[in-house]
Parts: sequence; structure tokens; C-alpha cells
Amino acid sequence: MRPSLIFIALALVATAASAQLPGLRKRTGPPAIQQAPLLVGIDALRADFLARSGADKVYFGGDAAVLTPQAQATLQAQAAWLRQHPEVVVRIEGYADSSDTRDHALAVGARRAEEVRSYLVLLGVPAVQLTTLSWGKEKTAVLGSAPAALALNRRAVTVLVR
Amino acid sequence: MIARLASLFPISLAFLAVAPAAAQEPSAVVIAVPPLTTPDGSDRGAGGPAAIAWQATQLIASDLRSTSELVPVGPNQKDYYSYPEVTAPTFSKWRNQGAKYVLTGFVRANSDGRFAVGCYVYDVSRGRELGRIGFAVNADDWRRAAHKCSGLAYTAATGAQAGIFDTQIAYVAESGAGMDKTKRIAVMDSDGTNQHFVTVGDSLVLTPRLSPKAGHLAYVSYVGGQPHIRVVDFDTNQQRPLVPTGGMTFAPRYSADGTRIVFSMQQGSNTDIFVVGADGGLPQRLTASPGVDTSASFAPDGNQIVFESDRSGAQQLYVMNADGTGQRRISFGGGWYADPVWSPDGQWIAFTRRIPGVGTRVGIMKPDGTGERLLSDGPADESPDWAPSSREIIFERTGVDGRPALARIAISGGEARRVVTPQDGSDPDWSGVID
Repeated sequence: MRPSLIFIALALVATAASAQLPGLRKRTGPPAIQQAPLLVGIDALRADFLARSGADKVYFGGDAAVLTPQAQATLQAQAAWLRQHPEVVVRIEGYADSSDTRDHALAVGARRAEEVRSYLVLLGVPAVQLTTLSWGKEKTAVLGSAPAALALNRRAVTVLVR
Repeated sequence: MIARLASLFPISLAFLAVAPAAAQEPSAVVIAVPPLTTPDGSDRGAGGPAAIAWQATQLIASDLRSTSELVPVGPNQKDYYSYPEVTAPTFSKWRNQGAKYVLTGFVRANSDGRFAVGCYVYDVSRGRELGRIGFAVNADDWRRAAHKCSGLAYTAATGAQAGIFDTQIAYVAESGAGMDKTKRIAVMDSDGTNQHFVTVGDSLVLTPRLSPKAGHLAYVSYVGGQPHIRVVDFDTNQQRPLVPTGGMTFAPRYSADGTRIVFSMQQGSNTDIFVVGADGGLPQRLTASPGVDTSASFAPDGNQIVFESDRSGAQQLYVMNADGTGQRRISFGGGWYADPVWSPDGQWIAFTRRIPGVGTRVGIMKPDGTGERLLSDGPADESPDWAPSSREIIFERTGVDGRPALARIAISGGEARRVVTPQDGSDPDWSGVID
């Protein structure tokens, strides 16, 4: 019982902090009245997440699911935010580029999403906050077969779902 | 949704059909296709036997032309035979036109409202009948009887299995682009007619795979969130998930006898190959490598499976026994090999090869990895599947405008030809011989 009680208390504090967006300043006074802040606040939360993390997506090289130093820096910022918002659940969406074949791309997208998920867990984000999904080579962000376009499609996007 | 194909009732034409097994060279062979005839006094109006005979002849010529192995001559109205002449064609006339074979036939109105359709194929140089076939069909089903006539001629000329024209093709019909692309599963007769949509476009769908006789279809759907394999039964129009799992399942393909489905399941960073009964049951794991094992395809005898794996660092092709034992790599060229599909005759494995700086091509190799040939010239060709004749491959070709289309190419060589679909098309899958 004890751990879950602690968890709830943390959640309330975090919710209260989120509810006063977009001011973003932590308030020292008593929490505001709880009025389903998650329902009204998802767009504000997303904006805050993007502003604080710097990016909601990371990019991968070639066939790889290896996190680059830049990707790791982005995910460290995402992890810090997610630890402060334990009520938030995200879906990590992995993508492959269009030069991949259909079936393999699905597995590669899943592998990239899983790589991001594992790294966020390693950084202390509770696993219950994290789900994954692969879009394979679907949902192309940038059209075309030029190397620069392909590189922008090899990505994993952290999407706040609630 | 899809209506099951109605039954065709074979009728006797006095002799049993005899199809010579002698295979010819896969070079273009001329076959004369004079108009199918009707008995004197037949109805000449629309929907009557004369009109159907003319349409059926055009369809037969179109079928034979689509193979790129036969060159049909006709139909021309001036070559019309009278009903009694169907079994006694003039060989010298066709010989002079360079034809090696001639196909004759008739359409006759039966008293029960159905039509009798009969066809005969002759060797022109020998003046000898090679085969005959006949059906009693409802007025709506004359196309199927015509396809059977085409198959009779194709078999006589090439030795290939009969029935290949009376088949279906499933594919993904696409509209829009990028994030806004809509995909729907479509099924059509292999001559391009009878287009049906199986899904309505509310969820992303991928890789339709028909059961060999086209009675069922397995595909990947994002309905509910996670991509997973669903199976449609066209008899009942019922759908169900292939296996009850919250994880991602994909890359389904039926065994040649239709009793099993081999597929991939993702668990964390790992993807392995499983097999399950087509009607359900407990999935059996076949691979356990810490990489991506996917795109599995049964050999026609059901005893072996070809698949792709990136366990070596790059995608390559592997063959294993149907229980997962004896895994061995068969592709060793540069780049990546993917999407392997075993041919219906067991002789070849079609694949997609990604070559850095060049693009993607479809090609074939023997199941032991020898005899590799790239068939298409790209730049972006992928997702091959076999025509039921094992003599052609249908595949997805992405144009320079980024739009995918279906194309087919003979494994004996030649140019790829566009398969016309109402919308952009991807992930083609050609059924087996239906009956």
C-alpha cells in the first residue's frame, strides 16, 4: 500500500504544476482545485513537453536502431520531463524510411521505438508511462527518395496520449 | 464485400480434355483466336449468345496476350466459323499466317437459361486437336468459362498448369500521400475486373495475402492501435485476429494447401517467425535469433520455409525446415535481400534486392541460392509475388513521382508491364488456381 500512496501524492503535485500552464513556473502555494486537469491540459502539456525537451523526436542512421549522442541528449530531456509528469502516458512511435521493405520496416520501427523506451526506463521513467507502436515505412513525414528525406523519416516520435 | 465465385459446371464435349505436357520454349508463340461461334438462329441481341461469344473471344485473346509468351491473332469477324466448322478449322489458312495453334469454340443458349461454352485447341502444323473443354454457366459467369478456355490454350502451348487465368489478385489501393495516405485492401479478378474493397479505409492496412483458393484473406490492420494480422472469411464475411496477442503480428502468408499461416511476431526489439493453423490454435515458434526474422513463405510441399533475417547484420535469405530446424543462409550477394516468396512450382524463390546507390529490384534464385537473376530494372521495385503459372511475377513499382503501381514481368525476361488498377496500388498478392 505504501508505495502506491506515495505515487498518488506525487501525481497530485505534478498535476497541480501542470494545471497552471502555460505559466510553467512552479507554484509554492497550495495546489489548485482539482478539476480534471488532464482533460483540459493535454495540448498545453504537449507544448510544455516540446518546449522543455527541445524535441519530441529522435533520428537514426541507416538500418540502425542505435541512439546517437544527440538522440540521447533529447531523450534525457524527455525523461526529466516525464519523471516530473508521472500522470502522463506517452506512445513512442517508431518509423523506417521508404527504402526499406514493408515487413522489415515494421520490425525496424518497433526496434527503434523499443530502443527509445528502454533508454527512457534506464533514465528512471516508470515503464507504465511508456507504450510503443511501429509505423514501419508508412506515414512518411518527408516525401521523396533523396538521402536527406530518408534520414528525416528514420525516427522515433514521443507522443503524449494522456 | 466479396461474393464467392459461383461454381462452373463442366460439360462433356465427347472427348476428355487432353493437355500435352510437352513444354515449349518460352519464346513468343502465335496462336490464332477466331471468334467463338453460335449455332444458326441464335439470339444476336445484347446479352445473347452471339454477343457473349464475341466478348468471350476478346477476353481469351486478352488473357493470352497478357502472358507475354503467346501472341494471339484476332479476333477478326472475317475469320468467323460456322457452328459445325468449330471442330474442323482450316489449318492451311492459319499456317500461312504463322500461327502455331488455333483456338476455336462456341457459345450456345441452353433451354434452362444458361449458356454452354466450349473451346478446342489445335496444333496447326500437325492438324491435330490438343484439347477441349466445356462448361454450362449462368449468364453472369461467362468470363470464368472464357478464362478456362484461355487456360486450355496456354497449357497446350506451354505445358503450364491450367486455370491460371481464373484467379484473383489482392493488393492495397492507395490514395493521398505522406501522413494523409489512405489505404484499403482491394481484391480483383486477375484480368482486372470485379474490383472489390475488403476494408473501408478507416484504419491503415498492409500486406493482404489470399489463401490459395482465394476463400480467405489474411492482412495487417492498425484497427485498435497495434498492427496485427486479421483473417477474413469471404464465405461468411466474418473477420477475426489471427492470434490473440497485444503485440505486433505481421507478414502473414498461407501454406500452399491453405491449412497453415506463417507470420512474424515482435517482442521488444526482437522479431521471430511463428506458424499457426489457418483456423486457429496455438502458435508454434520457428525462429529464435536476436534479430528480425520475417517475410516467411512456405515451399509448395509445405516441408520448407524461406524467410529473411538480419541476424548477420544485413537482411539475407534463409531456408529452414517447416519445424524451424536446419536454418541455412542461401543469399550472399551485396546489399540486402528481402521479401522472399517460393514459386508455386517449387523451382524458384522471388525476392526484393536492395542495392546501395542503385535502388531496389525484384529477382529470382533457386532454393539452394544458385542461379540468381534480377528481373526488373527499378529504380524502386519490391514486394514480388508469383503468378499461379510460376512463369511471371507481380510486384510493386514506385514511380519517380513516389506513387506506387502494380506491374508484372515474365521470369524468362522482357519488359515489366503495368497492371492497371483504379487507384495507386501496392503489396500485390496473386492467388493460386481456384479450381
